[in-house]
Amino acid sequence: MAFSKKVVPFFHISSLYRISSIIPVPHVIVRHSTNFNASLQQEDDDQPIQNLSNPYQKEKRCCVLCKYDVKVDYKNARLLSQFLSPFTGKVYEKNITGLCKTKQKIVEGEIIKAQNAGYLAIMLKKVEYLKDPKLYDPNRPVRPHRY
Amino acid sequence: MPLYELSLILRVVSKPELVASLKRSAETIVQQGGVLRQFISMGTNPLPYKMRAHTHWHREGIHFTMKFDAPSFAVEILKDEFKRDIDLIRTHVVKLEEPIKHECTLEEELKPPAYRKDVQQLIEEGKKTIRNQFQQNTPGFDYYPFQK
Repeated sequence: MAFSKKVVPFFHISSLYRISSIIPVPHVIVRHSTNFNASLQQEDDDQPIQNLSNPYQKEKRCCVLCKYDVKVDYKNARLLSQFLSPFTGKVYEKNITGLCKTKQKIVEGEIIKAQNAGYLAIMLKKVEYLKDPKLYDPNRPVRPHRY
Repeated sequence: MPLYELSLILRVVSKPELVASLKRSAETIVQQGGVLRQFISMGTNPLPYKMRAHTHWHREGIHFTMKFDAPSFAVEILKDEFKRDIDLIRTHVVKLEEPIKHECTLEEELKPPAYRKDVQQLIEEGKKTIRNQFQQNTPGFDYYPFQK
């Protein structure tokens, strides 16, 4: 312990400052006459670029079906049932599913087709599909809704 | 002749019987002037709910689809034919169309309403329309001549 007490003040940060003051740092940059014009041009290049795209612009958001280019088919009951409520068997709205306008319309149309063709039940969701991965959280809608 | 897709749910039967019933339904399409394009077998699957067809309850069914070209008036006749077929539980004819090509507009839809294009158009339309203002039916006077 006694040794460490002696050693620590020797390695204090202020000792580093003293060393840097002793070592000479070249402040003056010598500019040769031959390279003078070239250096001036370089200074012009260093001007801020005018037509620069916004570097802080966020990436464009895309809905799940558009992102992975999923083909929605009325025979694919498993995919369609992911957009159904397990409590009512009805289709969740656009603000909950997070789909774009056109895809939501396609999904709703395909669900009606599937129900008419006998691939999907009308009032319930199949028990095997209940543990499928969730695409959205119905309790956290994109936009608030009237229920 | 538009392209149609027929989805069939057949009752669970032995293979030769299945072939016979599929041939029967395919022949009805051909008889109505249709051209068969594709047969897809989707196997025996449990039904989403128990279905009643021709005085029998079904919990399983053989799923099958056919793609065919046919004149539009033939579809009604086909439906009528399939209704009387004992082997078929459910049939459904869908018109096949080319998928719509579009770009995802989710980014535009997530903007606040004042920044959305469709809302801006609505506001402009609202400004254009002149609301009916009350006009006094008093010709010759610019004021109401009687006591109010």
